[in-house]
Amino acid sequence: MRTFFTERGTTPPHMVEAFAIASGKGGTGKTTSTLALGMALAEEYDVTVVDADMGMANLLFHADLEAVETTLHDVLVEGGAPVEAAVYERHGLSVVPCGTSLADFASADPTRLRDVVATLAADTDVILLDSAATLSSRAAVLPVVLADRVVVVLEPTIPSLSDGLKVQEYATSYDTGTAGILFNKVRDDDAISQIAPKAERYFEGPTLATVPASEDVRAARRAGRPLLAHAPAAEAAGAYREAARALDVRDGDSGTVADRFRSAVVPESP
Amino acid sequence: MRLPDGRLVRSRVVTDPRTALVDALDRETTGYAVLEPQGSLLLDGDGHGIVTFERGVPVVAYHTGTERGGPPALADLATEGPYRLELFAVDPGALERVHVRDSFRVPPGMAAERLVGDSTLAERTREAASPAPGGTGVDDDAGRSRDSRVQSGDAPTDVGRGEPDAGDDTADRQVGAVEAFLDDEEKVAAIREEAREEAEARAEEWGF
Repeated sequence: MRTFFTERGTTPPHMVEAFAIASGKGGTGKTTSTLALGMALAEEYDVTVVDADMGMANLLFHADLEAVETTLHDVLVEGGAPVEAAVYERHGLSVVPCGTSLADFASADPTRLRDVVATLAADTDVILLDSAATLSSRAAVLPVVLADRVVVVLEPTIPSLSDGLKVQEYATSYDTGTAGILFNKVRDDDAISQIAPKAERYFEGPTLATVPASEDVRAARRAGRPLLAHAPAAEAAGAYREAARALDVRDGDSGTVADRFRSAVVPESP
Repeated sequence: MRLPDGRLVRSRVVTDPRTALVDALDRETTGYAVLEPQGSLLLDGDGHGIVTFERGVPVVAYHTGTERGGPPALADLATEGPYRLELFAVDPGALERVHVRDSFRVPPGMAAERLVGDSTLAERTREAASPAPGGTGVDDDAGRSRDSRVQSGDAPTDVGRGEPDAGDDTADRQVGAVEAFLDDEEKVAAIREEAREEAEARAEEWGF
């Protein structure tokens, strides 16, 4: 368990759990899932969502944040903006978008993400890290390393399951647990009822929910709004609320905190 | 499975089976693709996978290593690439004897949807397979033309039960490609083992 805490003044240590929303493959709906899970969890917790897909950021397009000035990129550069400047309150969430400029990505130091998350941890219960759809670079894998646990977003296809299994192995290698799997873009209830139990045998967490393929999801994306804001009554939105209920957010045990978050992962700059 | 000689129209090394499906569909190939994995994760013996096509639409899948046909053969084809791909064209009708093996048939969109995870390609393939108004089309068991499927409820196209491609109107439910993949514990273990080794090697490289 990688729960970490920060202290501010005389405030007692504040516990949070950080989840990486991950899949080895693109197109599984990670960003939609991150925001939907975040909004569903926000009914109970104080939630911060971070676009940690630093090379291919897109969360800003999903959360009506395209016009903002300061993003994670600006925080990750040497002598950059304070984290607080890149936090936006949207839809009941604190959202930290990432910029889309590759030049900004090149000058940003992804390893500073560690400090960003540690700072954010002071004021939130749950941190969701929208992760990259690849395992091919340090920046892409970093969120999985930093998180306490991963939520693996899957489609019911062989490459998606295969890549999801790889994500879990990476996570395990870095002492990050698996909170559960989330089947997305599901178009057939009967098939998923066969596939999910077979998949669960290989994943260390339960199936949190099965989210149907949905025109509502596409419409929300086109509108630049999170699904739960755009179509809260949609079946897919209900599935994300179910997933949030199934996610047992851990309070964290101060005995094991060991602020390992701040100390364990200190990769050199690229 | 005995295949007729064909005319080699494409021979190359590809990263995944998607290229074979796209090639065949774009060329509206009637023929077959032979996919031989070249990667490190070689299981299921030394075999190769075969997918036959009718006007670009997959009809039969077979794996020479596992000697399985139908959707499980698609699962057997799923390994780490690259693959050596050879695409052969044959005369119309030359594959008839191969295509009568009902148990080897796969729903038109299954390879694209389940083996390579490309729903857009799957949709294109199903459209190519669907009878156009007044036309004959290829097979349709993709669940997109329900009327024709209901009418041909026990036609040989009704294989691969259990996935959205597969139709849903028979008791004789055949395992789908994804389920066959998940049933292959040895292959899943190999994927995990390889990922674990990769993760550990990179942890060192990246300073995690």
